[in-house]
Amino acid sequence: MIVADLVQYVVTGLLLGGVYALMSIGLALIFGVMRVVNFAQGDFMMLGMYLTYWLAIGYGVDPLLGALLTIPPFFVLGLLVHRVLLVHVTGHGDPQREMDAQLILTLGLSLVITNAVTMILSPEPRGIKTAYATQAFAVGPILVNQARSYAFALALLLAVLVYVFLTRTDLGKALRAAADDPEAAGYQAIDVRTMHAVAFGIGIALVAAAGGLLATYHPIEPTVGVNFIVLMFVAVVLGGLGSIPGAFIGGIVIGLVQSLTLLVLPFQLQNVGVFVAFLLVLYLRPQGLFGQRLRTV
Amino acid sequence: MSAMLKIAGLGVSYGGLHALADVSLDVADGEFVTIVGPNGAGKTTLLKAISGAVRVESGHIEFRGRDVGALSPARRAALGIAHVPEGRRVFPSLTVLDNLELGSYRAAARPRRAESLEAVLALFPVLRSRAKQLAGSLSGGEQQMLALGRGLMAQPDLLLLDEPSQGLGPRIVEQIFETIAEIRRRRRLTILLVEQRVVEALELADRGYVLETGRVVLAGGRGALLADPRVQGAYLGA
Repeated sequence: MIVADLVQYVVTGLLLGGVYALMSIGLALIFGVMRVVNFAQGDFMMLGMYLTYWLAIGYGVDPLLGALLTIPPFFVLGLLVHRVLLVHVTGHGDPQREMDAQLILTLGLSLVITNAVTMILSPEPRGIKTAYATQAFAVGPILVNQARSYAFALALLLAVLVYVFLTRTDLGKALRAAADDPEAAGYQAIDVRTMHAVAFGIGIALVAAAGGLLATYHPIEPTVGVNFIVLMFVAVVLGGLGSIPGAFIGGIVIGLVQSLTLLVLPFQLQNVGVFVAFLLVLYLRPQGLFGQRLRTV
Repeated sequence: MSAMLKIAGLGVSYGGLHALADVSLDVADGEFVTIVGPNGAGKTTLLKAISGAVRVESGHIEFRGRDVGALSPARRAALGIAHVPEGRRVFPSLTVLDNLELGSYRAAARPRRAESLEAVLALFPVLRSRAKQLAGSLSGGEQQMLALGRGLMAQPDLLLLDEPSQGLGPRIVEQIFETIAEIRRRRRLTILLVEQRVVEALELADRGYVLETGRVVLAGGRGALLADPRVQGAYLGA
């Protein structure tokens, strides 16, 4: 019985973690290439949830499909936000001053988005009702929620696609080169500003899609991003700042820890376990699970 | 011979200090020119100004008759300037093969990528055996070969080499210089080489410039510079 309970919590944690992993990859990609900590990442996730909701309620689009449909418009939105806002605070010299400007910009953007959505769409929570949200696959004594299973599968698929893109295509490799050494990337005819735009576009598209997947089982409200941006930060730091595989593993670990915390602590305290694990990893391995110490040859 | 690169009255400063002042030089098509001088003379800054990585305060940079002064580094690289930077600057988290492939990222070099790759691997066989390894795990000498190979993958019209001997053991240095000489013999590639090793650099090149505290203090052919009493006194220990 105890073992079955444990397995149940592990499975639930893994399923949660897949979606966390997807949203964290977006944040890690943006940080890795642009060195920008995007505090508005949670708000783009929230917007992805609303778009999925709108497609589901207005047009009867299944939220799993809706989540995938958020990708193109949010990629374009990311390009626009980069072009209009971020381009002014990246790559102009003095990194310390730029970091302050980036922080104020993305934090401000987060506040504006949250409050605009609250004004326009009301703070009232909404949900998408699907048949599979309340059903479960029974595997022996273990119950696996269907909505979470589908969300997990799609999150995994998208994460694999991102990985293949980054490791097999010229553009993906150019993005990683720009993350490694922007100056040397410029010498290879890789336009660093374009790489920033692409990284931001993909990062926003991924977190919006993760939001859409989350919307199959999580209530939608204007402030929902705040709860998740914290988890994304922890996942990205756990995995090693800027590391994409690291952020993926970090997301999975957070899902697991969150779920297993419920074995010993009440629901309201489920993030306590996450932060304890976070501090522990930082203490034992400050560069994160997958981070590399700076190398100078 | 037509001019590949023409620089006139170039000035660069960092925080009010002149790194380069009124530098003029030119490199003809097919020529091998070297810029020598002591540490801090502005040699690296000069190469960075040519490839667009530092902001130029005054002067003109013309590449193949076109003013490139306002173009981004990526645009200049796309036109055919390949910069092999000081300290090698390979992409450490990418494989050796990925590093080389990114060398031919520019549109003009991409169709001939496979052919360039074979040529580069023939020149540096050690890179073939390390192809799947991360570039950050290579030794300093191997990283220098990779940086050179990456530059050649661009099939550039002008190759800028910044201190390829820096921080390497004598045997590797010799090998690197021999390879540069071989590249030169085989391809008649136009090369601008910056070096602190004055003798080796001058012996490889057709012509040279001596840069001191941001100014060109001496210029001339290989023989003339090697024989110049000021060069001998300052750099050759004669």
